[in-house]
Amino acid sequence: MHIPDGFVDVPTAVATGAVSLGVVAYSVRRTSKDLGERTIPLLGVTAAFIFAAQMLNFPVAGGTSGHFLGAMLAVALLGPWAASIVLSVVLVVQALGMADGGITAMGANVFNMGVVAVFVGFGLFYLLKKLLPRTLTGYLISLALASWVSVVLASTAASLELAVSGTVPVGVALPAMVSVHMIIGLGEALITTAVVTAVLAARPDLVNSFDLPIEAARRTAARPGVPATGRTRFWSFVVGALVVAIALAVFISPYASGSPDGLERVAADKGFETAAAQQPVWRFSPLGDYQMPGVGGERIATAVAGLIGTVALFALVLLLGRAFGRRRLVSAPQAAGGRSELPPGRSPDRSSTL
Amino acid sequence: MRAPDRTTPFLSETRTGGSLVRRLDARAKILGMIGFTMVVVTTPARAVWAFVLYAAVLAFLIGLARLPLRYVLKRALVVVPFVLVVAIFLPFFHKSGAGGYSLGGARVTGEGLLVLWNAGAKAVLGVLSMIVLGSTTTFAEMVSGFERLRAPNVFILIVSFMYRYSFVFVEEALRMQRAMASRNYRARWLWNVPTLGHMLSALFLRSYGRGERVYVAMLSRGYEGTVRLGNGTAFGLAETVFLGTILGLVIAIRVSASLWGAG
Repeated sequence: MHIPDGFVDVPTAVATGAVSLGVVAYSVRRTSKDLGERTIPLLGVTAAFIFAAQMLNFPVAGGTSGHFLGAMLAVALLGPWAASIVLSVVLVVQALGMADGGITAMGANVFNMGVVAVFVGFGLFYLLKKLLPRTLTGYLISLALASWVSVVLASTAASLELAVSGTVPVGVALPAMVSVHMIIGLGEALITTAVVTAVLAARPDLVNSFDLPIEAARRTAARPGVPATGRTRFWSFVVGALVVAIALAVFISPYASGSPDGLERVAADKGFETAAAQQPVWRFSPLGDYQMPGVGGERIATAVAGLIGTVALFALVLLLGRAFGRRRLVSAPQAAGGRSELPPGRSPDRSSTL
Repeated sequence: MRAPDRTTPFLSETRTGGSLVRRLDARAKILGMIGFTMVVVTTPARAVWAFVLYAAVLAFLIGLARLPLRYVLKRALVVVPFVLVVAIFLPFFHKSGAGGYSLGGARVTGEGLLVLWNAGAKAVLGVLSMIVLGSTTTFAEMVSGFERLRAPNVFILIVSFMYRYSFVFVEEALRMQRAMASRNYRARWLWNVPTLGHMLSALFLRSYGRGERVYVAMLSRGYEGTVRLGNGTAFGLAETVFLGTILGLVIAIRVSASLWGAG
């Protein structure tokens, strides 16, 4: 999600840069007020941790992988203001030291990951904590949902910026980017929740956002995890992910479909000729423009199309994954000899990155 | 969206010893390379020759800095996934435009190719200029350069702490990964992610504990909230010439690109 130079045009870069600069400057003022003796080292440690964690790719299915974003982890540990500072620092260091993310796209990158992901994620987290029962489970569920949403929204913001800049067509890029990040977001949610649970068990004083009595954090440490065999774990994962995906497709897609339309209009007004009307992009798709023929009501039709699309995509990913998984298992014994020759720390199955 | 290469040293500590660019004051390099990138990004894509000239300026700088070509190309691969994404979406652009070709059912217009060229060329030039900056300047020099360019103090402090702690983290992470690999565990599926989550939590707790000890040790040795990063070099004649030449050349190319744009 680190946009390189040249992918956002000058107006977009300036606009996102101005917003990011304002938010980060305000965050610095807010944080400086309660900068205790240990705050700076804690911010430094968290920045270093997110920096290191972003280098770790996690698997999605088969050979593809995504990487950790860390926005909600920083929010949970430090609160939103310090989190946005930490993420901007990480992004600046990545751009200057590792040429990862363009220097002129810095504003856009900070906007997506340090502003949108952090503040919308924080808002949702806060709201859910109020709505759900005040228990550790309620807290962790709010955290997981907010992490998932933060990744999806950051990718939405990134694809909208690219679309407004005229680099990718919005009608195709937005659904593609968002659906991929809906899956990557699951990994983000799992990792964020796992890290916060562990930190709560060992050092509850480090988790800024934890507002329950300390005993509530300790209780989980004693509860042993339910040992699950590979097979039950596989199917519980499949069922759980499918339920989540279907719920999202049905409830969110009708509302999500409004924004690209608005954007397409802006693009047309600005002179980007979207000839979608003359040459429909989805001509060969049976569910053109996410709508089912014969299903009344635009919202419902979109929801049904979203549902069918999700199930189909899920089945496809699952089938592909199983097929590749089988082949890997068979070829494992021969590959094992060669694998030890790899340099340490290099995971052998990183065939592509998302 | 990137594949980190763990075989290159972390934050590129391989620096070619005595090259001219290496010895320059960090401020000149920071301003020069960021200015270069900014000007390049505003250049209209149709002026192809302007991009060739920019590339020539960068090639000269890479030569002057005596950076190994293999290393530069390897680092520049960061942009590949993004360019691929744009390339994949190309057939969905239906803008009018001369040129272009059709591939099976998908038609790529000249306008679409221009978009790809625009993004690709600028991304590559931007990455290369940051590689020149990042590989000729040590992290400490970079931080002190930004400090002398009056960057906010909070940022300078966070970044310098982050830099110190990141070695702890990366080494700890590599150790854990090695331990995992030597036990023949490979995370391949999304539901293996909790294992990585446990790894990361152990990483955080261990490194945080170590970071706390480091901080207490710093305090007991007289740390009082400021990090002094060397005595720094002066902004002398060489720096002025370097900065002036880069910015002068780039602005000249940019202006002529506007004047004789699509020529």
